[in-house]
Amino acid sequence: MNLVWKLLRQHISIPQFVGFFFANLFGMLIVLLGYQFYRDVMPVFTSEDSFMKSDYIIVSKKIGMGYTISGRTNTFTPAEVNDVENQPFASSVGTFTSTEYKVEANMGVNGVNVLNSELFFESIPDHFVDAPKGSWKYTPGEHVVPIILPRAYITMYNFGFAQSRSLPKISDGLVGMINFDIFIHGNGHADRFKGKVIGFSSRLNTILVPQAFMDWSNNYFAPGSHSDPTRLIMQVDNPANEKVTKYIDQKGYEVEDDKLQAEKTTYFLRMIVTMVMVVGLVISILSFYILMLSIYLLVQKNSSKLENLLLIGYSPNNVARPYQLLTIGLNTGVLLIAWGTLYFVRDYYMGVIETLFPDIDSGTMLPAILLGLCLFALVSICNIIAIRHKIVSIWKRKE
Amino acid sequence: MQTINLASVLPQVFQQSKDLKSEIWKQNVKFERGHLYLVEAESGKGKSTFCSYIVGYRHDYSGTVMFDDRDTKTFKVKDWVEMRQQHISHLFQELRLFPELTAWENVQIKNKLTNFKDDATIRQWFDMLGIGDKLDAKIGRMSFGQQQRVAMIRALVQPFDFLLADEPISHLDDNNSRIMADIMMTEAKAQGAGVIVTSIGKHMDLNYEKTLLL
Repeated sequence: MNLVWKLLRQHISIPQFVGFFFANLFGMLIVLLGYQFYRDVMPVFTSEDSFMKSDYIIVSKKIGMGYTISGRTNTFTPAEVNDVENQPFASSVGTFTSTEYKVEANMGVNGVNVLNSELFFESIPDHFVDAPKGSWKYTPGEHVVPIILPRAYITMYNFGFAQSRSLPKISDGLVGMINFDIFIHGNGHADRFKGKVIGFSSRLNTILVPQAFMDWSNNYFAPGSHSDPTRLIMQVDNPANEKVTKYIDQKGYEVEDDKLQAEKTTYFLRMIVTMVMVVGLVISILSFYILMLSIYLLVQKNSSKLENLLLIGYSPNNVARPYQLLTIGLNTGVLLIAWGTLYFVRDYYMGVIETLFPDIDSGTMLPAILLGLCLFALVSICNIIAIRHKIVSIWKRKE
Repeated sequence: MQTINLASVLPQVFQQSKDLKSEIWKQNVKFERGHLYLVEAESGKGKSTFCSYIVGYRHDYSGTVMFDDRDTKTFKVKDWVEMRQQHISHLFQELRLFPELTAWENVQIKNKLTNFKDDATIRQWFDMLGIGDKLDAKIGRMSFGQQQRVAMIRALVQPFDFLLADEPISHLDDNNSRIMADIMMTEAKAQGAGVIVTSIGKHMDLNYEKTLLL
């Protein structure tokens, strides 16, 4: 094989192969980086809130100067709710119910009192809450109430309170450390409940309790009073649907949570990453052509040698192998360097992402490794087949 | 492989010629293992073409070339590779050596494929043919006569049932051609092989059992 290689390496153009190597390296790196980055950043937008399915949006009326001065309400009348329900894009609509009575609560962490306040609860129909089965239910009379807190509370606590008091920081796994005591009085009753915090939501800016508790407690502590809802929750087929935005604008409503924003961001992120990856792929394909052209040129320049080798008894596989090994070697080098570079780049941007979103799962390089292997296999197989094809055409004396 | 049979083989280029007089083209010819043949012709009569049909790198003919009872038109790539490695050795008229390699490497590139001869035997052949001092010389720097001798050595470092020598001594003096014929016949006898020599007049001084006029 050494002598064959000594023969066949004649006319190898180093600049051409260096050109291929770097072109392929950049292409591969861009594709892998795009994909890996997409996989790493996606959770920031998608798995942010485990208690609400992704295609829900929350709608409220705009509160402007006019409302404050004129005293017009910002509540939804039953007719308005009906109208929303009748929109084709709304597959399900629910209203926010709020407490009609006074609630006092005090929240503590690990026995240390953090917050004493008069506040209110809200509830939405249970099927909008995507909590683990069994954790989100209330039977009238029970003294333990499941609660979902706004994530902002916990951020406030973690960065403001816990930091300065050297208290433990709370993460999703440590919700059990929160004591939430509730006192309710109204209609001649006074009662004490224990809040069981089951998690945080960044999309529901309210203290959420089960609908069953809300119905029971409103009836018990404030029978007869009723207020119209100020917010609606709506399930839509596609939050980025133009009709949704149009309808909301036309009615003078606003979408309260950042879901639309996140959805749009995700969409743009996906689009940008796709574009970047396409550019990477185009570079890769072009580099593949460079390689194929240089190999073809090489085979052409060495065609008489190759023919002689075939005539003295070498098989097409024998003579194709040095070139196939050469390309596989180059491809392997490219793959390894791309992985290595990606490791450092990812290390850098993951540091930034993790500072901004401490809760995010740090993930692995597996997507890039798998995609890299796929690209490597694809390119190498194409190379092997193309070279073999070229040698066979010399065998058949078509050149 | 015991026989090579040519049954009314005619190169396509001769298809039109009316006055073709040949003892091979359009005839039934049989070459047998263990025998010595001379194929004589003027230039342009298709000697190398004849060789290329037998070694299987040209197929532009009508009729059939049979190895034993196998039609070579049915051969696949791997069949030809096996033929060229194990059954038919060919000394090309145009030699087909590699000018970038030394004389020694030119022989070794074949011997490494077949692992047929040891280094000592090869070295001995170089000495006998008077090119023992050229082992490490690049083929490109050697005269055609010297190259012919290297090509002959290369043709012998493989097992074969037939040896096809296409004008093997065109550039050799009588002494060297006698030595070469000697080595060739010794090796062919040892292998029990058939030998087919072509020539355009000047030919090795051997006891040909049959001479065919192309």
